[in-house]
Amino acid sequence: MSSTSPTGQAPTRAPASAGAQAEGRRRPSARELGMRFLTLREGSIIVVAILAALFFAIRVPTFWTHSNFITLLPYFAPFAILAAGEVMLMVAGEIDLSIGSVSLFAPFMFYEFNQAGLSLVPCLIAALLCSAVVGVINGFFTEIVGVSSFITTLAMLLGLGGLTLIISHAQPVAMPGADVTTKTIQVTHVVNGQQVTLPEKVNETGTFADIFGAGTYSELIWALVIVIGVQVLLFMTRWGTYTIAAGGNKLGAAEAGINVRATVIRNFIVCSVFAGFVGILEATRASTVTPDTAGASETMFRAVSAAVIGGTLLAGGEGTAIGALFGALFLGILRDGLTLEGVNADYLDFILGIAIIVAMVINVYVARIRKGSGRAA
Amino acid sequence: MSELDPVHEALERLEWQDSKQEQTPQSRLAAVTRRTALTGGAAGMAALLLQACGGGSSNTTSQAQGSPASGVFGSSGKPKFVFVNHVTTNPFFVPTKYGADDACKLLGCTYQWTGSQNSNVNEMVNAMNTAVTGGADGIAVALVDNKAFNQPTDAALKAKIPVVAYNADAQGNSRLAYIGQDLFLSGQEMGKRISQLVPSGDVALFIATPGSANIQPRIDGAQDVLKKKSGITTHVIATGAAVPAELSTIDSYAVGHSSTKGMFAVDAGSTQSVAQTIQKHNLRSKGVKGGGYDLTPTTQKLLAGDQIDFTIDQQPYLQGFFPVVELYLYKASGTLSGIAEINTGLKFLDKNTVKPYNTTKTRYEGTSSQPGVNKA
Repeated sequence: MSSTSPTGQAPTRAPASAGAQAEGRRRPSARELGMRFLTLREGSIIVVAILAALFFAIRVPTFWTHSNFITLLPYFAPFAILAAGEVMLMVAGEIDLSIGSVSLFAPFMFYEFNQAGLSLVPCLIAALLCSAVVGVINGFFTEIVGVSSFITTLAMLLGLGGLTLIISHAQPVAMPGADVTTKTIQVTHVVNGQQVTLPEKVNETGTFADIFGAGTYSELIWALVIVIGVQVLLFMTRWGTYTIAAGGNKLGAAEAGINVRATVIRNFIVCSVFAGFVGILEATRASTVTPDTAGASETMFRAVSAAVIGGTLLAGGEGTAIGALFGALFLGILRDGLTLEGVNADYLDFILGIAIIVAMVINVYVARIRKGSGRAA
Repeated sequence: MSELDPVHEALERLEWQDSKQEQTPQSRLAAVTRRTALTGGAAGMAALLLQACGGGSSNTTSQAQGSPASGVFGSSGKPKFVFVNHVTTNPFFVPTKYGADDACKLLGCTYQWTGSQNSNVNEMVNAMNTAVTGGADGIAVALVDNKAFNQPTDAALKAKIPVVAYNADAQGNSRLAYIGQDLFLSGQEMGKRISQLVPSGDVALFIATPGSANIQPRIDGAQDVLKKKSGITTHVIATGAAVPAELSTIDSYAVGHSSTKGMFAVDAGSTQSVAQTIQKHNLRSKGVKGGGYDLTPTTQKLLAGDQIDFTIDQQPYLQGFFPVVELYLYKASGTLSGIAEINTGLKFLDKNTVKPYNTTKTRYEGTSSQPGVNKA
């Protein structure tokens, strides 16, 4: 698909374009627009995600339906938020492995605060503050003491998971405010021209739960807001510039007068707060939360993979939140699509592994066009 | 099939002759009756079904021959059922998968085994929603959480997809039936057994993860009985989810509490660890009793070697077999039948009754993928 894309447009260096130049700013051709799109760092993963969606749309008739769109949302939205936070840190050249434990820890703190008598919104704020404290501790040990972020946050992953077990007495709890109430309403049907009113049961969740996780589009909206926020923060603010500079060349950035420590610690806090927030969204969606620490590292790993697949460098200095969103979307499409196809659990990881490699080969290929863009080939 | 081959040959010749004449409903019926008479009902019904399908591809042929069910129940198509599990790759559920597999072969349907690898409830809910979206014909779900599955279950039932629970059940969930061990009842039975074995003294009860919906009710049941016995003092100890940790926890407990008269566990890993600990410290010579749930190879061996007194087999094979049968019948009968509560697990094994488990390899215990009972 690389060298000769059959756009039907005249090549840019064709004689005809000489006349076009005389017109001053000529309108870019579709091919040029396509190339310009691919020069975006997230361009190739967007293409790959669309290809994956098309693949399943052709193979599974139910994939391209509204109901599956709703089903697909929780497969990627929480991971997109986690990955956006992770991007903030990875761009700065650090990594946070503790996000899985933070997203387990936050809902239990939420529950504890609620038990202590706080109402829902203060509980949320307090739980997010606790997550922020985790970020401060991670940042302190990484930036002030000088332990590598991999070790600091690995210790936090284990320690915080253990703390969650202790706080919860290893017991699952019902998420406050996420109660599902069943109400009976009268619905009028028209049967054979006659109006029949029948009672029908509908499930309802509270407003708080609807906003924070339980509503159908709640997680998607939060993911979009946060991803766009992080993207703006990274590329349009001084904080973002400092972050990229710190990840590209820490020493150079410090000598240029950037307070690298403060910047990275702030990023640790943002990453942890997002993780805590996702934990509360997910717990509210399921209406309960189980202190199972086995899943914590997998949650973290999926978020990091979404960020890396989305084009963020593990080495730091480059990365995008939009790419992370599409990285998460790509992984979500794979999981949802393969489950829809009826793949059994034993085969799922096997096929997932192959699919990721195939997709990333395509990704590299598309990226090669990206780097060669500007040239006609 | 081979001894029927001459019959098939003759039938084919007769039908070939018939086909030269014009086909009427009578002649078709005659052909079916002849087939039925000569080869048994199933094949005749299958042939009828094939004719109805207009000959059918090689795929439907093998299905129809493999499964007489479509003829018996008069339903067509190949229903697809989805099993949502909390630990999809856990060896405990290998026989469950074989059970579902066998029932599907019998009835001519398919099943998908999905869910979470590590009890992630959100992931299970996602899988269940995908099953609803994908238009599954029925869902079997392990209700390991008391609340999280209420909404997905309601959504499935609203979409006319039957839902049954297997292995773990939740109060207040609107699933149509539960197929598995009655956990609290089995705990009470274990409590009675314990009180017979240990009339008085300290009894330790081990549980991997307190609060888990698929093991906590067992320990509640046991305590319900044991609390009423005045001579017995119970101590509940959490051991952790991974077997190595469970073993070291129970080991150190045994070393630290030499007055313990009995050690019992309510999950597979802890039960195995109880048996290993009793063997390690030679506690049988001090009269310590032991027992628990489920069959791991180590538990089986040590039970036969009289290191513990009993284990309870909850028959995971049936927890895969019966959900498929129930969901199939529910669909085949047009929702009129099929739904029944099934208690798969009050099967106490002792050192004698455990022997066949050690000497055979079967699909029923997940030790062999071959049909039938094979010598170990």
